Amino acid sequence: MNKLLKQTRYSWNHFKLYFKRIAKHPFFPILVLGFFLILLQVIGSTGLIRPSLLNFISPVLIRFMVALGFMLLLGYAGLASLGTAGFMGLGSYLIGYLYQTMGMPSELAFLIGIATALVLGVLVGFISLRVEGMYLAIVTLGLGEILKNFFVNSPLTGASNGMRLFDGIKILGIFSSTSQVYNPVYYLIVILMILSMVWILNIINSPTGRAMLSIKNSTSAAQAMGISIMKYRLSAFLMATLFAVTAGMLQMIRTTTSYPNSWGIDLSLNVLAAVVIGGTKNIWGVLIGTFIVFGLKDIVLSRIPFFQTYNNAHLMFSGILIIVVVMFYPGGVVKLFSDLLKIIKNVSKKISASWKEYRYGKEL
Amino acid sequence: MVKNYSSHRKVLLERNISSLLYQIELAESYITVAEKQLTEKMNRRIENYKSNHQDELLQSYYATLTNSSIIKEMTEDAYKDLDNKLYWKKRAIKTSFERKYKSKEDQEQHQEKLNKRMMDAELKVDLKKKALLRKYDSRNITDDQMILNKKSYEEKLAAANQAISVYENQQKLILDQKMTKIKLQLETKKNKLSKKLSVKNAHMEQLLNDPKSKLRFSEDIMNETSILKIDHLTMQFGGLKAVDDLSFEVKKGEVFGLIGPNGAGKTTVFNCITQFYKPPFGNIYYRNSVNDILLLNDFKVHNVIKQGIVRTFQNVELIWELSILDNMLVGAHSLYRSTFFTHSFQTFGFKREEAILKAKAEKILSDLDLIAYKDFYPVGLPYGILKKIELARTLMTNPNLIILDEPAAGLNDSETESLALTIKQIQKDYNCTIFLVEHDMGLVMNICDTICAISFGKKLAIGTPKEIQSNKLVQEAYLGGE
Repeated sequence: MNKLLKQTRYSWNHFKLYFKRIAKHPFFPILVLGFFLILLQVIGSTGLIRPSLLNFISPVLIRFMVALGFMLLLGYAGLASLGTAGFMGLGSYLIGYLYQTMGMPSELAFLIGIATALVLGVLVGFISLRVEGMYLAIVTLGLGEILKNFFVNSPLTGASNGMRLFDGIKILGIFSSTSQVYNPVYYLIVILMILSMVWILNIINSPTGRAMLSIKNSTSAAQAMGISIMKYRLSAFLMATLFAVTAGMLQMIRTTTSYPNSWGIDLSLNVLAAVVIGGTKNIWGVLIGTFIVFGLKDIVLSRIPFFQTYNNAHLMFSGILIIVVVMFYPGGVVKLFSDLLKIIKNVSKKISASWKEYRYGKEL
Repeated sequence: MVKNYSSHRKVLLERNISSLLYQIELAESYITVAEKQLTEKMNRRIENYKSNHQDELLQSYYATLTNSSIIKEMTEDAYKDLDNKLYWKKRAIKTSFERKYKSKEDQEQHQEKLNKRMMDAELKVDLKKKALLRKYDSRNITDDQMILNKKSYEEKLAAANQAISVYENQQKLILDQKMTKIKLQLETKKNKLSKKLSVKNAHMEQLLNDPKSKLRFSEDIMNETSILKIDHLTMQFGGLKAVDDLSFEVKKGEVFGLIGPNGAGKTTVFNCITQFYKPPFGNIYYRNSVNDILLLNDFKVHNVIKQGIVRTFQNVELIWELSILDNMLVGAHSLYRSTFFTHSFQTFGFKREEAILKAKAEKILSDLDLIAYKDFYPVGLPYGILKKIELARTLMTNPNLIILDEPAAGLNDSETESLALTIKQIQKDYNCTIFLVEHDMGLVMNICDTICAISFGKKLAIGTPKEIQSNKLVQEAYLGGE
């Protein structure tokens, strides 16, 4: 009978092999993640999941996009920029101004925002990428502060009252932000997030990513191998600005409001923290880090009484995490998972070996 | 770059032509690859189809067997499994018995218990075997039915075979159609490419014959046989003159050694050649693969490699966060024709390019006996291996001139010997000039054809190893004067 069973299982095995081949593809988990996120919203819209829980997800995903760009900048090109929040704010005000005050169609405003990000990235990059390390951080910090002060004082951005889109905004006729509960913009965010993840993964596994890493490791070796340092630093910086501006625009489209105080240095530092905590060279690590820094407060910590009484205690939490990660896990939290897996494998091997020895005697 | 405009254009054109030739070659080789892939896919599909039929056939096949033959076929594997289980069960019983009664006297006393438990286990297995037998023996099939079964099985078999053969023919037809399509596509592509190639070739001829595009530097500035000329080079840091009015020539195809005591300015000379330092005085001329003479002072650091000059470093400068194979691909960075845009979409052309360069890297690694370290990270590998990997990385771009900065620093004697062998092998196999700085006199005297000795940035002597050994100035510089 065994032979017969083996034969009938053939087609099932065939399917399993096929599935394994697909699952090995690096895009597979990304697509699974996107499918899961969309499913969550679809289930939520039937009323099974509370809207308060779902509304916390999209800000986290928006910040995840920013963190992805920042990961390329920090983990691969080896540069640290603190102007991220300024660029995000710029994106959100830009689309608001173009759509509401100038009366442009929203899609055109979105495209103009992306073009501005590219131009601005090139300009700022050419000026500021001549300095390295800490000095670049200082230059971009100054830039972020300039942008924030501009938002606070300029009449174009509504000064300290912030900007509000009174009629909401609609992109491509489907993704409108008029209804606040179960916002359809969520789907747009998920789609753009998946696209950016795929893009970043492609860049990482290409000569461009390798060139960035070699510049980070040794500038002289990179130059001797024919890698133009300015070109690759600039392209990393450009991608980071592009992601930040796009995320800012998405934030505006989703919430329809923008206040200057939310684009301060603390947001830039939080993005940096998310990347460092998660792991500077792994997109899944960055996802975990973003969730820890931005999502944990609203989804988990707000249910614990200690954090309810002390409102800002979550900052302490992420601060402690940064210290722990930098000191003990330079690879980030994502390395913790792989290390845990290794430990579990080793322990289970030892246990099974000792059990065999106990049961069957020493001569095996 | 503007000053060397015509020469640069020539190099670019040459590159274009070689890449076109390369693409034509690829198009030719792609036919066999496509055929292989498609036939593999077809075979997989046919096998799948066959297996679907086999499931039905097997059941009717077992209906035609007599009881005794079916028992033979079915019980073989099951019996083996049962016997194996019995072996382990017996061992477990014995160890638990020994754990309980440790001394020999106790064991002898309770020997009966052990025997009983063993017997029980054997009995259980026997019962299972008998149950299996009974299951197959209880089948009642009359002779008439058996004949009917056999008939139906044969009919089914014939039908299945016919269906399979029809399916196979269908698949083969589809494959032929696909292959003719691909061949047509590739031929049109090849025609396009060869048209482009003829245009470029005509352009190249025009350039070569054009009197306006004559070289900026006349031929008599440099010997015909030499590849590199350093002309009155001076480099200073503040008030210190690291290199002082140094000039020499390196012949094509030789191993040239630069020696001198510590602080003599050898590495500074290298950094001036590869443009990490811009020398204030003095010229560095270089003859490239198109036989043009270039002034290297005009080039940016990252463009020097495109003319065929690669260097290594005194301290190993590998990329620590990349595997050895990826390090080799970083070495081939100047060869990539794909751009940021194609990298973002991982286009088919880019993947093909990457695969070809990977194959090249693997070939070089296996030539130098390093293929075992392919997927390792450089962290933790022995120093001698790292030096060899850095040497292998320079070969990725098919260089004309390899500049080695203290290749034997930090190596033990046996590693130095193997390094000398590999340097000689590289010079022979890859047909390139090697220019090295070294402190290890044994290595230098062993492999170098010409040696230049310098001290405090000034030239002491130049000549064959024997001449240098007997030179008094050199002896003074190394051992001190009287």
